[in-house]
Amino acid sequence: MQNPHTDTAETLYEGDQSKLYSGVLAHHDLSELKGEASRKQVSRIWKITLLLAIVTILEVSLGLYGHYQGVHVGVRNFFFIIMTIIKAFYIVKVFMHLGDEFKNFVTLVLIPLVLFVWFIIAFLADGAHWLHMNQTDPTRFDNKTEQAVPAKSPAKTPAPALQ
Amino acid sequence: MAQATAVNLSETTAQPKAWAGGRSPFNVSYGKIMMWFFLLSDAFTFGAFLISYGTKRYFSAVWPDPNHVFHSAPFFPADAQLPLLFVSLMTFILILSSVTMVLAVHAGHYGDRKGVVKWLLWTIVGGIAFLGCQAWEWTHLALSNGGLMGAFDDPATPLSKIEHFFAPASNIAAYPREALEATGNFFNFFFGITGFHGFHVSVGVILLIMVFLNAVNGTYERRGHYEMVEKIGLYWHFVDLVWVFVFTCFYLL
Repeated sequence: MQNPHTDTAETLYEGDQSKLYSGVLAHHDLSELKGEASRKQVSRIWKITLLLAIVTILEVSLGLYGHYQGVHVGVRNFFFIIMTIIKAFYIVKVFMHLGDEFKNFVTLVLIPLVLFVWFIIAFLADGAHWLHMNQTDPTRFDNKTEQAVPAKSPAKTPAPALQ
Repeated sequence: MAQATAVNLSETTAQPKAWAGGRSPFNVSYGKIMMWFFLLSDAFTFGAFLISYGTKRYFSAVWPDPNHVFHSAPFFPADAQLPLLFVSLMTFILILSSVTMVLAVHAGHYGDRKGVVKWLLWTIVGGIAFLGCQAWEWTHLALSNGGLMGAFDDPATPLSKIEHFFAPASNIAAYPREALEATGNFFNFFFGITGFHGFHVSVGVILLIMVFLNAVNGTYERRGHYEMVEKIGLYWHFVDLVWVFVFTCFYLL
């Protein structure tokens, strides 16, 4: 087996960068597997597992309670979204190790996600606005006006030519 | 020798100008950065799908109730009312496979080949179990609906064929055509999005099997590090992350 420790940082940058940044040069021997740092990390992983399981159980319980007993939809959905974000946060931070990266890299990954804020608001508002138009504008194509209008409506006037 | 290289490395990483070249300002290898960027773009793909689902839902006066649509589980009678039971099982399978994946990554950090092999195998088992569950759910829904996507496209479909998808309180008799359209949209989005996610899981299982074989053959031991396990791990956690959102959007909200 080739010993990775014989490489220099300069040659690795042009060659196998992964060796440079995955910690093989600095620490982590097989002998440290039972060490305190390793055991601490494993127990952290299991703690997060427990947390994810508890959050999922809470979600399912509220879903079932809401189904059989009825819970205000706004309250219920707010709770579901908060719980989902909590799960996503811990999966990304601990399981994907984003919490262990440099702060500027974390920012680089998370900043583009801010676009989702406008993305969600704009598209849901659009959907809601269409529903509002369909239900309030009598010329629109909905169930009630459709019955009021004769089955065979006169031929549509040709659309004006595009300017 | 190890000592000398460690000193050398710390000298290199302690350069005052982070962007002067010769090292990664993020202390992350190129391959791992690119995996993060790919996942970021994939997040927007999934996000766009889920948001368009939300748009259609806001657009509709009535919408199927997931507790009435997804009420079945294998080994129970077809008419059993068991909302959320089966999908909770699927969610737990995927979360547990994510845990075994992170344990494989952890073993890789210490060059523990046996640990990597063991935990990767469990992750593959979890992925295949999840796909099996999804195959059952798809088959069940396709058989009872009369097809996958486009099963409710016929405008002559009678209300009696779709009314069991809705909560009794939602007044679908007042919106017969919207109810039919909403049912079609619901299932098209459901099969489209869970299908796209299932495709990701399938790809993930194939990648995991490749990494598993490499780990068994000692490829990573010869290379000196298990970063490939880490990169595939990032992908696998992302797939789990997407399922968290799919679960919320389709089954809970």
